[in-house]
Amino acid sequence: MNKYFSVEKLKYVFYTVSHPVDGYYWIRHTDKGSVLIALVLVVLFSLSFSLNRISASFVVNEIDPRTVDSLTELGGVLMLFALICISNWSVTCLMQGEGRLKDIAIAIGYAMVPFIISINLATIISLFIADGEEAFYFLILVMGISYGIIMMLLGIMQVHNYSLAKTLVTLFLTLVAAFIIIFIGLLLVDLINKIYGFFYSIYIEIVFRV
Amino acid sequence: MGLSKRIRCKVLLIIMAFINILDHGSVALANELPYDTYNYNFYEDIVYTPAAYIPSGSISGTQLIYEGESLGVLSNPQDICKTPSGDVVLADTGNHRIIILNKDMTKVIKVIKDFDYNGEVGTFSSPYGVCVSKKNELYIADTFNNRIVVLDEDNNLVKIIKNPTSEVLEDSYVFSPLKVSVDYADRIYCIAQNMFEGIMVFENNGQFIGFIGTIEVEISLWEKFWKRIATKEERSNQRLFIPTEFTGIDIDDDGFVYASNIDEAGEQAIRRLNPRGQDVIKKGKNENLGGDLWSAGFGKYSGASQITDLVYRQKGMYSLLDRKRGRIFTYDHEGNLLYIFGGLGTQAGTFVTPVAIENIGNTIIVLDAYRAEILTFSETQYGSLINNAVGLRHDGDETKAVELWKKVLNLDENNELAYVGIGKAYLTSGDYVNAMDYLKKGMSSEFYSIAFRRYRNEVLKENMSFLLTGAVILVIIIVVAKGIYRKKKGLEKEEGLLNE
Repeated sequence: MNKYFSVEKLKYVFYTVSHPVDGYYWIRHTDKGSVLIALVLVVLFSLSFSLNRISASFVVNEIDPRTVDSLTELGGVLMLFALICISNWSVTCLMQGEGRLKDIAIAIGYAMVPFIISINLATIISLFIADGEEAFYFLILVMGISYGIIMMLLGIMQVHNYSLAKTLVTLFLTLVAAFIIIFIGLLLVDLINKIYGFFYSIYIEIVFRV
Repeated sequence: MGLSKRIRCKVLLIIMAFINILDHGSVALANELPYDTYNYNFYEDIVYTPAAYIPSGSISGTQLIYEGESLGVLSNPQDICKTPSGDVVLADTGNHRIIILNKDMTKVIKVIKDFDYNGEVGTFSSPYGVCVSKKNELYIADTFNNRIVVLDEDNNLVKIIKNPTSEVLEDSYVFSPLKVSVDYADRIYCIAQNMFEGIMVFENNGQFIGFIGTIEVEISLWEKFWKRIATKEERSNQRLFIPTEFTGIDIDDDGFVYASNIDEAGEQAIRRLNPRGQDVIKKGKNENLGGDLWSAGFGKYSGASQITDLVYRQKGMYSLLDRKRGRIFTYDHEGNLLYIFGGLGTQAGTFVTPVAIENIGNTIIVLDAYRAEILTFSETQYGSLINNAVGLRHDGDETKAVELWKKVLNLDENNELAYVGIGKAYLTSGDYVNAMDYLKKGMSSEFYSIAFRRYRNEVLKENMSFLLTGAVILVIIIVVAKGIYRKKKGLEKEEGLLNE
């Protein structure tokens, strides 16, 4: 089987959506998942999210389409994806998690499928509803999002071979780890800025004196 | 949804504050007005509009001649109002006199300094408020004399209202009326100093009846929590939770009382009180009657608008005067913000401390206490179109208003009210496609939905036969296909069994 992409692997995405527990088990233990497909799904999710904000009917959508920038949102979603994967990996490494970084990325990426389907369906539905019928729109969204979250939970549970309680604990720790990563990142950026400023002022000084 | 909108607003506010710093003064307007004219759209963003009113002059006391002499500089004037015939009454508070000007404010009709008080000479002491009833009787809130003086057209004393007594008033209560207003039945509505219970109402014989329109104080859970953990000393240093006082008062043709107050939250600075004292005002689509929606930043110029006076104009329209940024906000009877103009400054046409607003014909006049001047603003074509269109809509002539709204769109194609006005007319005439188009541009979810629902029903009705036929055919195909598939599978199974 091709490492990154093949038709079987694409079909396996839908098998995972309909059989999350089994699907994620075999992703961990055989070479059935693909990081590339997971990444593509995340990008697709980001695009559908932007599309929803731009073109959902104004009956349900209070966002000014002119303020939506899909590229910025894509960047944000990808950063968030990387942040969750890395922080989860760094926590589960220390807690006897069996999953590799690759498996975590796939577990989260494949869970985007219900999000993508429901958000696009809701966008289309929104064009056919009037005031007072918003319930259909939100029902579809809520169903998709909850299924996606359940999938994510099962995925992380399966790839690490955890019990549900342990998964929840690690998810909480993941959140903590994410904040620590953000904190260190900000510190680093600030430090680099200061160093840059230091050398820049030396440069200015030299330019003015010489 | 409401919460997320609020949070989004706050984030935007912060961003806007930064943008304002970076981008200072880059908005160039193609006119020489001393102020910006703008409005808020569906997304609560600022949209610049043509001016509805432009400054057309100012009147100071020194310009006016009475009995051969100049009136002299006005001193801290506090109130203006108009008589039924359109004359202007001015309370020259610091000079303890009342001045009556003609309609154009070019001539002085009379100056009232004293009156015959049962044989003695009665004078005023800092009269803060004036008002004229339908019977042309002049009501003067004679503040430091603690009384309301009522004079008829010939300066004869009609009655004096002082020392109101009631069970609800403390014995030590000192009555200091600030603003006064009269309805068609000569009931007197009075805003008094340090009276937080609401507006004081007097019967036409001067008998105090009670209060209407008490503003209830809302204490948040957070504030309650801090109160709980604060010590007694700290608590005594904290500010008291007392309701805000009313600042301005006016009465419409039906006898409803419009009263403005200073709302720190900037949400509702105006109330329309029915005879029972209940607030029956309508809020527009932004659910806001507090003036500016954007008020972030630091310093004197930031914070919610402080509505200091109001004027009921005509056809359900009313204008509010903001002393924080010197703006005048005009709303229609549905609570939609129609236009905003005015500003603080020292240029001609701007205010320093605006205190009172009045509407004389097509002009709006504002009294500035510090400048001791009356500033006049005349209606532009844009303002007059909106005023007339709103008036027609108030009377129910929405089809007649369409022509006017179309002209408004020629001048300002961002005007959502105009789109809604045209869209509603299309809706009543049954042209749902155009109605949907216009109502969508006007961002009126409510009326768009009505048009859309009717349009959807129409399309469904016309195509019902095709849809149902299609559905029946689809069902038949599925049933047949299933049958064939089962048969095939069954055969395969049988073959498999045979092969075994």
